[in-house]
Amino acid sequence: MTQYILRRLLLMIPVAFLVTILVFTLIRLSPGDPLVIYAGEERDPAALEALRREYGLDRSMPEQYVLWITHALQGDLGRSLRTRQPVLDAIVERLPATLELGITALVLSITVALIVGTLSAVRRNSPLDLLATGFTLAGVSLPNFFLGLLLILVLSLAIRLFPPGGYTALREDVWDNVRHLILPAITLATASMAVNMRQVRSSLLDTFGQDYMRTARAKGLSETLIVVRHALKNALIPVVTIVGLQVGAIIEGAIITEQIYSWPGIGKLAVDSINGRDYPVVQAIVLVSALSFMASTLVVDVLYAWLDPRISYSGHRS
Amino acid sequence: MTRILAILTVLALVTGACAGTPPSTTGGGASPAPSAAAKPTYGGTVTFVLENDVIDFDPLKSRAFVDRNIHYQIYDSLVRIDETGKIVPWLATKWDTSTDGKTVTFTLRDDVTYHDGTKFDADSVKWNIERYIKTAGSQRAGELASVDTVEVVSPTTVKFNLKAPFSPLVANLVDRAGMMVSRKAFEAVGNPDDFTRKAFKAGSGPFMLTEAIKDDHMTLEKNASWWGKDKDGNKLPYLDKITVKPFTNSDTRFTNLRTGDAQVANKIAGKDVPTARSESSLAYQERAALSFRSLIPNRAAGFVFSEKRYVKAVSMAIDRAQLLDKGYFNLGAVGYGTIAPSHFAFDASFKPFEKADPEGAKKLVQEVAAGPLKFELLVSSGDPATLTIATLIKDQLQKADIVADIQQLEFAKILELQSAHTFKGLTFVGWSGRIDPDGNTYDHIYTKRPFNDSSYSNADVDKLLDEQRATADQEKRKTALRKAEQIYVVDDPARIWLGFGAAQLLTSKKVNAPPIYPDQIVRFQFMSMAAR
Repeated sequence: MTQYILRRLLLMIPVAFLVTILVFTLIRLSPGDPLVIYAGEERDPAALEALRREYGLDRSMPEQYVLWITHALQGDLGRSLRTRQPVLDAIVERLPATLELGITALVLSITVALIVGTLSAVRRNSPLDLLATGFTLAGVSLPNFFLGLLLILVLSLAIRLFPPGGYTALREDVWDNVRHLILPAITLATASMAVNMRQVRSSLLDTFGQDYMRTARAKGLSETLIVVRHALKNALIPVVTIVGLQVGAIIEGAIITEQIYSWPGIGKLAVDSINGRDYPVVQAIVLVSALSFMASTLVVDVLYAWLDPRISYSGHRS
Repeated sequence: MTRILAILTVLALVTGACAGTPPSTTGGGASPAPSAAAKPTYGGTVTFVLENDVIDFDPLKSRAFVDRNIHYQIYDSLVRIDETGKIVPWLATKWDTSTDGKTVTFTLRDDVTYHDGTKFDADSVKWNIERYIKTAGSQRAGELASVDTVEVVSPTTVKFNLKAPFSPLVANLVDRAGMMVSRKAFEAVGNPDDFTRKAFKAGSGPFMLTEAIKDDHMTLEKNASWWGKDKDGNKLPYLDKITVKPFTNSDTRFTNLRTGDAQVANKIAGKDVPTARSESSLAYQERAALSFRSLIPNRAAGFVFSEKRYVKAVSMAIDRAQLLDKGYFNLGAVGYGTIAPSHFAFDASFKPFEKADPEGAKKLVQEVAAGPLKFELLVSSGDPATLTIATLIKDQLQKADIVADIQQLEFAKILELQSAHTFKGLTFVGWSGRIDPDGNTYDHIYTKRPFNDSSYSNADVDKLLDEQRATADQEKRKTALRKAEQIYVVDDPARIWLGFGAAQLLTSKKVNAPPIYPDQIVRFQFMSMAAR
C-alpha cells in the first residue's frame, strides 16, 4: 500500500507539469491583451508599453514559460498583472474562506445525503422517499444563483434571520462568521446534496439485493445492524467516488455562490483573473486546483481499500 | 492669515452643511434643504456597500472608476468641486494663471498634516507631481503631460511651469492627478508595487485607511485632525468609522440597504429604483452624472461606417427616449454628445436628434446609393442588460430598413478588436466622465488619441479642440467646444451618443445624507448619524 501511495504521489509531478504547460498555452492563445484590459479607464500607450516590458509580456511564449516555471519551483508564483500582489499571497488570503465554505457545504451535503438517502432506500416508495426524490429533482434543477437570491430574499429580507451576504473572519467573531456562513453553505450544498442522496439510495438498493444480505436477514440480525454494518459500507464505494470529485472541486471555489453572497473566496479571484487575462493568477489557481483534484482522488482510492478488503494495491492477492 | 484661511474654508464648504431633511429626487442640481438649527451628531459607524473592490489605493496606478470612491475619503487634492461641478479651493486656497497661460501658481493651506503626522507643504506637492509624471507606468502622466516643471517658491506657494497653455490642468488636479500622498508613508512601504495595497494612513483626507482585505472589506477611520469644517465652523468629519464592503451582485447590495446591514450605496440597478423610492427606511437621490453612453462606429477606411452619412442615419433612426425608458429604466438622461449637463459648456437647447426619424434615415442611406445598410452590433457576452438595449436598437433601426446584426463576443475579445480598430460595425462604449468637458472629449475625438477607437479624424474639430485647450477664457472655450460638438455629433459624427448616466445615492434614514454630486462619489465628510 505504501508503495502504491508513493507511486501515485510521484505520478502527480509529471501530470502537474503537463497541466501548467496546457493552461499556460491556452490562456495566452485566447484573444485579449491583459494590458489593454488592465488599462481600464486610462489608456496611456507609453505607460502600457513600459508595463509590457516590465512584466516580460513582450518575450516569446517558451521564454515566458521557462521563466515562470523556474520561479514557481522555488515557490515564487509571480505577481498578479492586475494588482501587483504576489500570487501566492492572493491565493493564501482567500483560501481560508473558500475552504470554510467548501468543507461546510460538503459536510452538510454528505450528512444529509447519508441520512435521507438511507432512510429513503429503507423505506422505499414511502412518502419520505417521494419527498426526498422531489427534493433531489429540485435541487439539481434549480440554478445556484437563483437559489441563492431566493434564500436571501426569504431568509434575509422577509424574515431577518441571516445577513444578506458578506463575511466575518473566523478569528474575529465565531458566531458572526457562522451566521454569514449558513446561507451560502446551504446554497452550495444543495446541488451536490441531491446528487449524493440519489447515489446513496440507489447504491443501497443494489446492495439490498445481494445474496449476503439475504443471509444476514436469515441469521435474524436486526434491520439497523444489517443496514449500517453490512449494507452501508459496501454501498458507499460509488458514493465515495463522487464525493471525492466534489472534494477536489472545493479549491476552484463556489464561483457563483461567492459572487452572490460576496464571500471573499478563490472563486471571485478566478473569474476576475480569467476575464482580465491575469496570466500568473490563472496559472496558479489551475495548478492548485489540479493538485487538489489529484490528491483527493488518491485519498478516494486509498479509502476504497479500507471499504472493500477485496481491493488491494500491493500486487498480490489478500 | 489664519482667519482669512478659515473664512475661505467656511465659504468653500458652505454647500456641505449637514443635511437634515430627505433630499429631492429628480433632475439636475438636486440638493437637500439646509438643516434646521440642530447641531450635528458626532460619532457613529456606517457600512458602505461598493459595486466592486478597490484595485489600487495608489492614485498613481489607479485605472478603475471604483477606486475613486475611496481615494476621495483618504486623500485631499489640490482642488475639488462643489455639488454644482464648479472647482473650489481644497489644499490650495487660490491659484493664478499667468497671462501667457504657461504658469499656474497655487497658494497652499498651512494647517494640513498627513495621517502619519508629516506636514503638507509645497515640497510635498512637488514630490507628488514629479512622482506622477516621472514614474514608469504611471497612469497620471497623460493628465499632467502639459507640466514641464514644478517649482517650490515658499512652503505655501508652488508654481507649475507648463510646456504650453493648458486650461484643463486645474480640473485634472481635482481628481487623482492632484491627490497628495505622504512621502514618508510611501517610502516606508519599500516596494512601490506593495504601496498600492498597503497605503495605510498615507493621505491627509477626512478619513484614514486602516485596513484593506481584498474582496472582503476596507476600514476607514476618522481623521481627528482634518482641516475641514462645516458652515457653522464645526470640525469635520462627523462619523467615527466607515466599513466598506464590495458586493458585486446588485441585488445583494440593495438587500443590504433594505435590511439595514448597510447604510450607504451609490449604485443600484434601475429596476430597483422604484422600490428604493418607496421604501420608508431609505432615502434616494439621483441626478444626471458626467458619464456618457455611446455607440462607437469603426470609421476607418474600408469599414462600412467610414461613410459618415451611415453614422448619421443610425443616429437619426435611434429613439433615445425609448432606450432610456425601456433599456436604462429611466436612469440618467437623454443626450447627444460628450458635454454633460453640469459642464460649463453644456447647451440644453442642443437636441439634434430629439425625435427618432426613421424616414429621414432611410432617405440618407438611399442617398449613399450603395444598397441597404447592414452591420455588426457587438455586445459583451456576459452582459444581459446591454443585450436588451442592443435588441431595442435593432428593432428601432429596422423601421429605417437598417439591419443591425447582434454579435455576442467575450469582453476581452471586443476590447481587442476595438484597440486594433478592426471591429466591423458598432460597439457599446461608456465613459465615467470628467469634471472638465475636455476630459470627456479630447482623448475620444481628437485624431489618434488613446480613446479614439472609431479612428475618427476631422481637422476642423482638432483645431477647435486645441483652441479651447489653449485659452483660459471660459466663454471662448465654450464657443469652441460648441462648434466642435456640432461637427462631431451632427455634421461628421464621431460616434452615436445615447445619453448621460446617473449619479445615485441611497442612504438609510439612520444617517443624514450628504448632497449628491455629479461625479457619483459620496462625500462622507458631510455625513452624520441622524438624531434619534
